[in-house]
Amino acid sequence: MSGFDVFAIVLVLLVIVTLIAGVKTVPQGYDWTIERFGKYTQTLSPGLNLIVPYFDRVGRKINMMEQVINIPEQEVITKDNATVTVDGVAFFQVFDAAKASYEVSNLEQAIIVLTMTNIRSVMGSMDLDQVLSHRDVINERLLRVVDAAVSPWGLKVNRIEIKDIVPPADLVEAMGRQMKAERVKRADILQAEGARQSEILRAEGAKQGQILQAEGRREAAFRDAEARERSAEAEAKATQMVSEAIAKGDVAALNYFIADKYIKAFGQFADAPNQKIIMLPMEAVSLLGSLAGIGEIAKATFGESAASASAAARRGSVPATSPTPPVAPPR
Amino acid sequence: MTDMFVSLGTWNWLIFGFILMALEVIAPGVFLLWLGLAALLVGLISFAVVMSWQIQLVMFAVFAAAAVPVWRRLARPKLDASSSSFLNKRSEALLGREFTLEKPIVDGNGTMRIGDTVWRVAGPDTPAGTRVKVVQVDGANLTVAAA
Repeated sequence: MSGFDVFAIVLVLLVIVTLIAGVKTVPQGYDWTIERFGKYTQTLSPGLNLIVPYFDRVGRKINMMEQVINIPEQEVITKDNATVTVDGVAFFQVFDAAKASYEVSNLEQAIIVLTMTNIRSVMGSMDLDQVLSHRDVINERLLRVVDAAVSPWGLKVNRIEIKDIVPPADLVEAMGRQMKAERVKRADILQAEGARQSEILRAEGAKQGQILQAEGRREAAFRDAEARERSAEAEAKATQMVSEAIAKGDVAALNYFIADKYIKAFGQFADAPNQKIIMLPMEAVSLLGSLAGIGEIAKATFGESAASASAAARRGSVPATSPTPPVAPPR
Repeated sequence: MTDMFVSLGTWNWLIFGFILMALEVIAPGVFLLWLGLAALLVGLISFAVVMSWQIQLVMFAVFAAAAVPVWRRLARPKLDASSSSFLNKRSEALLGREFTLEKPIVDGNGTMRIGDTVWRVAGPDTPAGTRVKVVQVDGANLTVAAA
């Protein structure tokens, strides 16, 4: 083999090796850093890339996708001295491959330790109740602090979530009891309030009823009084009309009416089924006699105009002083 | 081996070229493609011009090396086009969008809530509640200006 033969073969081998070394295909989701003589020069983005072989070397292959890391379980003492066990997850993404490669030595470990210490400081400044109920506040505060801390490393923490917060068993039991007592208290209060309300409603109903009854009575009384007034008026008018009639006519007519009523009253007595023997006081008998006397007085009162008429009446009637009841005139 | 290679003559290059291209399909790495194309090219030329095998080898090496700058020129616009995709470039996707500041920017630095995470922003001191526009992106750091 001549020297040219060897040269040609070696040249071909050299070209092939150089091409293999110089053409770099970076997959999507990764960035590769390039070091020239060990010093960072550039970052290769996904796709086909060329580097100068012999000088350049691929340094780190950095995952540019969002990644999740587990924050291991740790014990945290809250502000009110309760020991809780906490774990979580952190989501982060590298934005600057060069910084993530060379600014920090063990990226994931750094994030984990940073997050763990911050969980301790954030939750240590809160009471147990707050810790249990304000998870979003904790997440938010953690995110702000950790994100600011990882900023020099060219990454961004997108989310930190506290997964589990486990208080000690006896504390959980006490919290259960507290909750139960709270519910029982509420039930008792509600029951008492219901009883009170119903009692009030009942009393109010009774009051309303009584008021309505009293109003009814009042109304009835008013009407009764009116009726009595009206009947008195009617009586007065009737009396007046009778007196007028007497003034115009004979007093015997008056006697006639009285006698009529008297007889009717006796008739009623006689009709009564349970009383056949009628006892009349003496005075009652003489009362009828006195009626004629009343007629006299009435006549005197109504004046002289009636005097002559009264005299005529006396002549035609039974004697006014007669103790016997007057005989009914013929109808 | 050299004897066999020489005895086959011109066909060697075409066979070699197609084998390389087939390998490229199986194990993509792009450099095999250029080698294969160079081999095919040498094969076609050697059909027309009679050359010694040493010259053919040197030609193959030259073509393979020359393929790289040619490819770079051809591929450049394609690279630019692919860079406009926001895959794995979450912050670039925010460029030009407007948001409302939740916390004020003090001394040129602040934070802004976008989506369900908090971004570090830089820009002129602005009170909370101002609408701002993302004007520049550097990694996870956004530069904003009043919208």
